Amino acid sequence: MPPKHYRPAGKKKEGNAAKYITRTKAIKYLQVSLRVFRKLCILKGIFPRVPKKKFEGNHKTYYSMKDINFLLHEPLLEKLRQIRAHEKKVKKAKARKNKDLAERLLNRMPCYKLDTLIFERYPTFIDAIRDLDDCLTMVHLFASLPAVEGERIQVNRIHKCRRLSHEWQAYICRTHSLRKTFISVKGVYYQAEVQGQKITWLTPHALQQVLTQDVDFNIMLTFLEFYEALLGFVNFKLYHSINVKYPPILDSRLEALAAELYALFRYVATGSARKPVESQTSGLIEEKKDTEEKMDPSVDESELRLAQLQHQLPSNEPGTLMQLLEDSNTNNDDDDEDPDTKECRTLFKSLKFFLSREVPREALLFIIPAFGGVVSWEGEGGPFKETDEDIAYQIVDRPTQGHKFLSRHYVQPQWVFDCVNARIILPTDAYLVGMVPPPHLSPFVDDEAEGYVPEYGETIKRLQTAAQKNVMPLPDLGNQDIADPQSLLAQGIIDRTQANEAAEERQKLLLLEKQYHDELKKEMSGTTYSSSLSNKNSENTGSDEMQHQDEDMVPVSTEKDDEDNRAKLYMSRKKKGLFEAMEISNQRKKSKVELLKERKRKAESSKTG
Amino acid sequence: MAEEKHDESLSDEAEWSDDGVSSENEKVEESDSSEDEVAPRNTVGDIPLVEWHKDEEHIGYDIKGKKLKKQPRKDKLASFLEGADDPKNWRKIYDEYNDEEVELTRDDIRLIQRLISGRTPHAEVNPYEDYVDWFEYEDKGHPLSNAPEPKRRFVPSKWEAKKVAALVRKIRAGLIKAPDEPKEEEANYYLLWGDDTNSAENKKRINYIPAPKLKLPGHEESYNPSVEYIPTEEEINSYQLMYEEDRPKFIPRRYLSLRSVPAYDKSVKEMFDRCLDQYLCPRTRKKRINIDPESLKPKLPSRKDLRPYPTTCYLEYLGHAGPVNCISVDPSGQWLASGSTDGTTRMWEIETGRCLKVWEIGEAARQISWNPVADRPILAVVLEYDVLLLNSGMGDIDIQTKTKELLHVSEPGATEDAAVSWMQHEKHDGIRIKHFKAVSSIEWHSKGDYFTTVVPTFKRDSRAVLVHQLSKKNSDKPFRKLPGIPVTAVFHPSKKIFFVATKRFVQVYDLSKGQRIKKLETGVREISSISVHPGGDNLIVGSKEGKMCWFDLDLSTRPYKTLKAHSKDITRVTFHRTYPLFASASDDCTAYVFHSTVYSDLNQNPLIVPLEILRGHKAEHGRGVLDCKYHPRQPWLFTAGADSTIKLYCH
Repeated sequence: MPPKHYRPAGKKKEGNAAKYITRTKAIKYLQVSLRVFRKLCILKGIFPRVPKKKFEGNHKTYYSMKDINFLLHEPLLEKLRQIRAHEKKVKKAKARKNKDLAERLLNRMPCYKLDTLIFERYPTFIDAIRDLDDCLTMVHLFASLPAVEGERIQVNRIHKCRRLSHEWQAYICRTHSLRKTFISVKGVYYQAEVQGQKITWLTPHALQQVLTQDVDFNIMLTFLEFYEALLGFVNFKLYHSINVKYPPILDSRLEALAAELYALFRYVATGSARKPVESQTSGLIEEKKDTEEKMDPSVDESELRLAQLQHQLPSNEPGTLMQLLEDSNTNNDDDDEDPDTKECRTLFKSLKFFLSREVPREALLFIIPAFGGVVSWEGEGGPFKETDEDIAYQIVDRPTQGHKFLSRHYVQPQWVFDCVNARIILPTDAYLVGMVPPPHLSPFVDDEAEGYVPEYGETIKRLQTAAQKNVMPLPDLGNQDIADPQSLLAQGIIDRTQANEAAEERQKLLLLEKQYHDELKKEMSGTTYSSSLSNKNSENTGSDEMQHQDEDMVPVSTEKDDEDNRAKLYMSRKKKGLFEAMEISNQRKKSKVELLKERKRKAESSKTG
Repeated sequence: MAEEKHDESLSDEAEWSDDGVSSENEKVEESDSSEDEVAPRNTVGDIPLVEWHKDEEHIGYDIKGKKLKKQPRKDKLASFLEGADDPKNWRKIYDEYNDEEVELTRDDIRLIQRLISGRTPHAEVNPYEDYVDWFEYEDKGHPLSNAPEPKRRFVPSKWEAKKVAALVRKIRAGLIKAPDEPKEEEANYYLLWGDDTNSAENKKRINYIPAPKLKLPGHEESYNPSVEYIPTEEEINSYQLMYEEDRPKFIPRRYLSLRSVPAYDKSVKEMFDRCLDQYLCPRTRKKRINIDPESLKPKLPSRKDLRPYPTTCYLEYLGHAGPVNCISVDPSGQWLASGSTDGTTRMWEIETGRCLKVWEIGEAARQISWNPVADRPILAVVLEYDVLLLNSGMGDIDIQTKTKELLHVSEPGATEDAAVSWMQHEKHDGIRIKHFKAVSSIEWHSKGDYFTTVVPTFKRDSRAVLVHQLSKKNSDKPFRKLPGIPVTAVFHPSKKIFFVATKRFVQVYDLSKGQRIKKLETGVREISSISVHPGGDNLIVGSKEGKMCWFDLDLSTRPYKTLKAHSKDITRVTFHRTYPLFASASDDCTAYVFHSTVYSDLNQNPLIVPLEILRGHKAEHGRGVLDCKYHPRQPWLFTAGADSTIKLYCH
């Protein structure tokens, strides 16, 4: 009696056993150690699969055989073997106390590049952009970690992460593609839109990070290695798209002052100005920079920058070129920009911000320019001083503010974040110094879908609609105009918000029409019903005393129940299961909302009582 | 110190000078070892003296070969006394080898003490003295080795030349490179995605599944969430009672200003978990259905179009004192008969609810059935072992005489194996048919002459299903053996076909040929009742698990539709005779009314629509509705409940 899964010699495996391989067998097949296998998997982006039948047991990890063959033909595999052999040589030389040889060998460690891997994993740029969430979060996290020798987190690694993250932020800021921000307990979330893809990342709060023991940094560092390369190439492509040289050369003075982000902004701004004929998009930062230069001509820093400009720019008169740009750009911008970007670009336009010492500088330095504002900070290197008369808002986060300029608002940092999420400039009354700010709401939640809108969310919505009405007069357009707002938009007669309103109105009309049709239908069906009933009645031969029963005598409450039951009775078992599961999840959602409402009610009652 | 020592030794000398030779020798020779001082008298060497010279006069020989005499033995007492007198006695040691007594000097004792304490024997010896190099190097004029310098010291090394040549060869071949400067950490990035127009599509990995994105944060993750997102103390405490995996990972907290927000302690850990998920978690594509649950509901025809059907309770027939087991409506539609466990069988007028007649049988009626022919007002009542055929007393005198004639048994008859015996029932003026075992069901043939009773006995018993003829007072066993224990049996309304339901199957027999035509597989665990559509091509089966099966006999032997309507046993399913309606009654106190149109076109499936759920009966001892029957002409439904009421539902 052959065993149950007997396969005669020479016969190939079939089915799942041929398509999948367990991890242990894959390691044996590739002739590598588990560590190398893990590294390969991370770099190549290979993950376990779920076979239809787990032929070697439920507790094992299965890889697709195709994936493993993909690894088998990877040149990196050979390279990793070489590295391993080389490491052995170094070790041997050290053991023989042959320091020279060891040093020489160490200098000549084989190295590999990840560009082909990246191209393989992301054949188009859009693919890379789509997968950037984790990459950005990881790079931003490492940028804020302390260097730990024992965990192999080296200083230069952290600096590299810092630089990459700043480069990314500079690009986002330059193109005004930041859309949403959110301060959570975990850190600050940002959402940007690059090439139509929404990218969300998390930056930790700028505080000393906690390193826990239950983390294997080898794995994290392997991921980081890939992410660094990926982000580098992505940044290159992005900078290339706005005609800026990459990698950027930064102002060493600003760098020393830990204001790399600002230095980068300036670099990007000047960089894109280098090709004035092609780049028609750079208007704002030039403007800003120009004002900056007017602002503090006394500081020698600007001279330093000018020297740099001379060094970077083509030799023909930079100043005049910039002027030219400014003139030409103001109306050119609108053509190729989508309305979202325009809205973001103009939110803080012509507003000056000043950050106090205690405010998280990096986040605000990123956000405010991304929405068109001009920002400076307390301390060295800021483009303008606190005493500047034009400052409209000073961001402070302290219990009391000693000396106050009457010409400006003193607001808490949350105000900036809320403004950005609401896309309007909110009144500052609730955000003044020393006050407890109103609740900070997540912009990532679809309140309607969730079924519960927090109170402050409603307030913001009201403010938004009010702002829209303020901006433009109410349209008293004829029906014909309302009928096709899209064409009007194309003509440029009304702008987006107006179009929205028109669309809403049209929808309302549609709704009314539909209701009318429904009622008509009901009426029609009613007549048919009554006639059919009378027909039936005439057919009946039996005693008729009991037939005067009213049809609407059935109690209303059970009717709905019965209707449900009736329908359920007729469903197939599969559909019934699905239906019940859906009902359960809906119920759960509803109960969650109920809980929120209950808590709200209790809080209010305790406040009043 | 040295002087003092000297003094001591002097004093020693003064003390010991009169004693004898040893101190003199010591002084003269200045040697360390005590053996050297005095040569031992005895020369025999290291032999066991005590044993070998035990019996001899001598103890050995001196240097000249003369015997050394043993000294005379001392008297013990005398020696003790001598020792007691002599204060220096403690210094004396008996030397066995030389056979003499030696007195230790003070130096000897000191030496012994030093040895015991682990020091050098002599105090003047310094064990850590400075090394003095004794060799004089100066003016010697020649090395230790006087050999001449070899030639190789003056000729260039051949081996080295070889080695250098080899290195040069390697350098020229490019095998050895000049040591590089420490590499600058410069990743040379370039435009990796030049233009996306090239055939990047071909390179796409076919079955690559991108990792799912992280969930976006909700309001509750804010550093300053609204009040309603913050759980109360009790709620937080209640999280402790939850299972680990159900427990919320994140508990919202409120900070009053941005500066008071601390660093998040789990940020590295969460990133690490995400990394693990990315390379360790198996990925599959899952289809998530995002539809409105209402769209899953089937489109049923409107109930209004399917009227009339029974909807509301119109009348209640009260009078029974126990659960009403069974009801039956007479073919004219005027009278209702009911049997109960209280031992009575009653007849009611349907339209008024008046109880016309009560038969005190004294035994619980299990089944009751009117004869389907209008001019035979006969009631068949099933008791435990008996079937009673009663005259209901309805109809004119003509009919009554005919009925009385019919219900008269001239001589009690019985079948040959005593399965059944016919006899007259005196009290109620009817026929009593006694069975050999308890009867479970009774069913009239549509012509009104034949009826069948089912006696659930055991497998393959020919007496399980009996067919009785009223006119001849005769009983017959149509089956020699039955596959299983029968539950109920029904006649086909028009053809000579007979349905017998066993526990899980329905057997269809052709009575004219006497053979089985079909076996319907219900798929239920236990059949409780069956009913045949008046057309005869469809059949419904109710089961004890609450399922109902609709069979299309032309279509298949498997159910066309299975409906799970009830949560408890179905007690009765029944078709309406004229309207396209059927109903089911169950122990969960409900009765369902269904619409069922059977089309004459064979290609069209029957239309089954659940119409109404009738409630109203109360549960008693776990039983609900025990029986349901339709009115023969009106769309009315009668239900008999365990709460000893009968209800009439009208449209």
